Amino acid sequence: MSYKNFKVARMLMAMFIAMTVSIAISIENVLLAVSAIGIGMISMVLIKRSVKEVLVDEMVKTIAGKSALMAYSITVPVLAFLSLILMFSNLSSRGSEMYNLGITLSYVALFNMAAYSLAYYYYQKKYGRDNE
Amino acid sequence: MAEIMNNIKILRAGKGMTQEELAEKAKVTRQTIIAIEKGKYVPSLELAFKICKVFDKKIEEIFKTI
Repeated sequence: MSYKNFKVARMLMAMFIAMTVSIAISIENVLLAVSAIGIGMISMVLIKRSVKEVLVDEMVKTIAGKSALMAYSITVPVLAFLSLILMFSNLSSRGSEMYNLGITLSYVALFNMAAYSLAYYYYQKKYGRDNE
Repeated sequence: MAEIMNNIKILRAGKGMTQEELAEKAKVTRQTIIAIEKGKYVPSLELAFKICKVFDKKIEEIFKTI
């Protein structure tokens, strides 16, 4: 399969998943939504295997790495700031929805930081930075 | 930091090779070849050596620092 055909197949698969999941939500059928996502994922793996051209190379990985770092640098401070505002503005009404939302967001920010730190530690070990 | 330039476009044209053919030989996407030729992306040492092998040239004959 050529790269052009792959792009078309990928778009069609995304449309199929979006439509099926929308229908599944409207008829409140979780099984249908899960099956659609599962079928979509398996199909994408099979389609990717049939593509002869290179889809991911070092430049794509470099761009992905820089984008991920930028997304992390934006997401974590925004989440932390938002959670602080929500928590401190609702200190008098602890247990309210907004206060709980602030706590949840702060945990999400912490989870993000933990995931980043673990990934950073792993790659640091992999590339031998600890041997300096 | 020193800028790294290359003459891949000239060498490729000399061999009558398309960007797609070079990308296939170097096992990268055509977008990467376009970016390298324009000087927007500096390839890794591994990819630089692959490109040198395609043209049968030494690395300093293709890549130069300014």
